[in-house]
Amino acid sequence: MTLTQDLREALGDENVLEEPVELHLFSKDASLMRGEPSVVVFPANANETAAVVRIAERHRVPIVARGAGTGLAAGASPTQGGIVVVTTRIKDIEIDVENRTAWVGAGVINLDLSVAAKPHGLYFAPDPSSQSACTIGGNVANNSGGPHCLSEGSTTSHVLGMEAVLTGGEVVVLGGAAPDPIGLDLKGALVGSEGTLGIVTRALVRLLPIEPDVRTLLMDFATVEDAARTVSDVIAAGVVPAALELMDQEMVRAVDNWLGAGLPIDAAAVLLAEVVGETEGVVAQSELISDIGRQNHATGVQVAADDDERALLWLGRKSAFGAIAQLAPDYYLHDAVVPRTRLVEVMTGIYGIAEKYGLTMCNVFHAGDGNLHPLIAFDSSDPEMNRLVHEAGDEIVALCLKAGGALSGEHGIGIEKRDLMRASFSELDLDAQARLKEVFDPAGVFNPTKVLPEGSRCFDFGGVRRELPDGVWV
Amino acid sequence: MTRNPPHIARLEVDQSLAADGAATLEPRSVDDVAAILKHASERGLKVQVVGGGTHSGYGRPVSPDLLMVMNGLTQVEVWNPDDLTVVVAAGAPIAEMEAKLNEANQTSVMPEHPGSGTVGGAISAGVSALRRGKLYPTRERVLEATLVTGDGRVVRSGGRVVKNVTGYDLHRLAVGAFGAMGVVVSVCLKLWPVPEGQMTVQVDDPDRASEVTRPLAVLETREGVSVFLAGTHSEVEAQTRRLGGTARPGHSWPVDPAGEFTWSLRVPPAEMANAIERMPDAWGFLAVHGVGEIRCSSDSFDPDFRSWAESVGGRLVVTSGEAEDFDPWGSPPPGVDLQAKLIAQFDPRRVINPGRLPGGL
Ligand SMILES: Cc1cc2nc3c(=O)[nH]c(=O)nc-3n(C[C@H](O)[C@H](O)[C@H](O)COP(=O)(O)OP(=O)(O)OC[C@H]3O[C@@H](n4cnc5c(N)ncnc54)[C@H](O)[C@@H]3O)c2cc1C
Repeated sequence: MTLTQDLREALGDENVLEEPVELHLFSKDASLMRGEPSVVVFPANANETAAVVRIAERHRVPIVARGAGTGLAAGASPTQGGIVVVTTRIKDIEIDVENRTAWVGAGVINLDLSVAAKPHGLYFAPDPSSQSACTIGGNVANNSGGPHCLSEGSTTSHVLGMEAVLTGGEVVVLGGAAPDPIGLDLKGALVGSEGTLGIVTRALVRLLPIEPDVRTLLMDFATVEDAARTVSDVIAAGVVPAALELMDQEMVRAVDNWLGAGLPIDAAAVLLAEVVGETEGVVAQSELISDIGRQNHATGVQVAADDDERALLWLGRKSAFGAIAQLAPDYYLHDAVVPRTRLVEVMTGIYGIAEKYGLTMCNVFHAGDGNLHPLIAFDSSDPEMNRLVHEAGDEIVALCLKAGGALSGEHGIGIEKRDLMRASFSELDLDAQARLKEVFDPAGVFNPTKVLPEGSRCFDFGGVRRELPDGVWV
Repeated sequence: MTRNPPHIARLEVDQSLAADGAATLEPRSVDDVAAILKHASERGLKVQVVGGGTHSGYGRPVSPDLLMVMNGLTQVEVWNPDDLTVVVAAGAPIAEMEAKLNEANQTSVMPEHPGSGTVGGAISAGVSALRRGKLYPTRERVLEATLVTGDGRVVRSGGRVVKNVTGYDLHRLAVGAFGAMGVVVSVCLKLWPVPEGQMTVQVDDPDRASEVTRPLAVLETREGVSVFLAGTHSEVEAQTRRLGGTARPGHSWPVDPAGEFTWSLRVPPAEMANAIERMPDAWGFLAVHGVGEIRCSSDSFDPDFRSWAESVGGRLVVTSGEAEDFDPWGSPPPGVDLQAKLIAQFDPRRVINPGRLPGGL
């Protein structure tokens, strides 16, 4: 039987797409890279997903898992063709109020989970700005972050267990509501693996109690450096707010033009800070943060008066990437992280690079984590522009790495950042990662060519010899 | 057959840890560790890695040919207080590192009573602080790790920043792996500020703690239930008033129950009351409410209790005491085959603490 015949038999005709127009819809994620899938399937559960995996292994074709396709690193782009496995039919939510956990289908939209948990006074901490579209499966696969991961950590800190389909179509349930599962943390390895080790069909996630009070502050500054220094100073003062986000003027203007949120468009940068907890605590912390802002020459400090104002401020922040469409048809985005003490100098350097290349750049980022998102707006149909943008991007990454930073804070490596991995890791490091990949995916079907640069596994350690230290005699 | 090289003879090692005839080696550098492990792999020698020796009761005992004592690698390499991160060698005693961090009102959120325990030991055994319910377990604190594999490769994973998804998380896999992914030689840890206000409030029932949102810890022992609060002064005062009960400033962390036999009970948080009720009066316990972890002591192993724990999706893990005719870990975890294949890539001759992991790995 052909590949599609096998898939149709396993999933039913209605869950298998192969018309070119339909396939095209699944040919890329939110990055710039496109592929051509052979077929797109919609399994309903782990068993159907397992059948798909077995079929893929039998036909030796790649499997690319896909949630909502909002990924920014081409993780869900089927660049090698093959089967795109869309999880959107796996969307059950089972909340366990007593244990403060939920079993969540991979295809559940992030925001829908928090909406479902809210009546129980609970929420799911990871809140990517794309949360009204992206899926839990995508969050788990990318170890996604979000503005509120500053104090609570990224998705990996909130995944207690999972149901996953591994090589050979084996369905496993790893972890659980009890702490510290014994043995190697296979679940932890799957989180953040971008669909290259297996397919996550359901996740057991931690839910947190909704905090009793919240204060959201907007501070504006006459220079980006002042805003960045405020971030460093807040962290240095021993305050870890729930969120601490920075937007520069280009970005504020784009957002305000789009939403009319009444943002301070004359400021060179704005900081959005949020503190949560008991009323007495949030009052004290928001005062401390405003004081630090003022010491760094904040020109205005505004506290959201009510939930509506607060929601509007966050809408402004979370709509930022969408607002970019006004500036140019495409954007190229980096996601490097730097130590928070190096924010000021790195930001200065990044603006310098954009200026050198004559590029339109905006910044909106998770400043409290040091997670930068320098975004270059451009027209990708111009090949010369493409080249410049990528060259500038590489220079930005090099600057961040030199400051002791990391390549990606939350968007993942996919293909977009894959060839920059060599700048972050030694050959031995990459070889070790490639071994992990090989153990999980001996057939090489799970999202091939993503994450690790080509040739990662070719290192032959046998050639290196280490001698025992002097004086050691065994 | 074996002899300690000169610089190792000076070492003070707890001899009870040393099996007969095992040579003790004290590496002074990452290269030393790599050379020792490579040598061990070439000769098929079993290496027991010793940190502070505080978790030596976990898993099946190793009969080692070599004891590799990590107390030559103790340096705090980079501490960046303004960035809330620290890079430290794995043999560093937790107590010493914490004392230093505390000077700047920071904490690594490692176990509160580490004894002679080392950073690498806590990570390899996967043990966490009592504050883990609010500040997350040890696994979430490890931002970067340098590992030396069984065949002597030096492998780094993660990075020195608080948020990072670059590549596969080998450093997280090393947590609780007892060296099977490689001996942890150095780590970067995410630190947390120690807030100004600290209070411990005694309450009569753990459910009282629901009066406050996400306290630092709610702990129960045979002596009663205490809620540990931390935050700004005003916040902590308000929470204390709301809780009622006897309050005293500061945090005095209870110690783990001691006894012939100690074990860690791990159950879904909602099962904790049930677990405590099932324990005979003679057993000691320290329960971390909201988390599902109960540290216990008893005079012998109770197989029925383990069966119960496993029936509710939990575990009973022996942490010290003779485990002759039963498995210290209980039923093997899912994915043992996959774990074995993974270990084969990182410790191909299985020289680092062989057999200590669940499932006989
Ligand atoms: C406007 C905008 C704002 C964003 N803001 C943020 C942000 O604040 N923080 C952040 O971290 N990210 C952000 N992102 C990136 C993106 O939304 C996240 O990475 C998200 O988690 C992806 O989810 P998805 O369902 O769209 O996954 P997809 O894009 O469909 O897939 C992402 C990756 O996960 C794999 N995958 C998907 N589902 C599974 C599964 N079930 N099992 C195994 N592998 C799977 C795919 O193969 C792919 O490699 C943003 C993106 C956009 C467009």
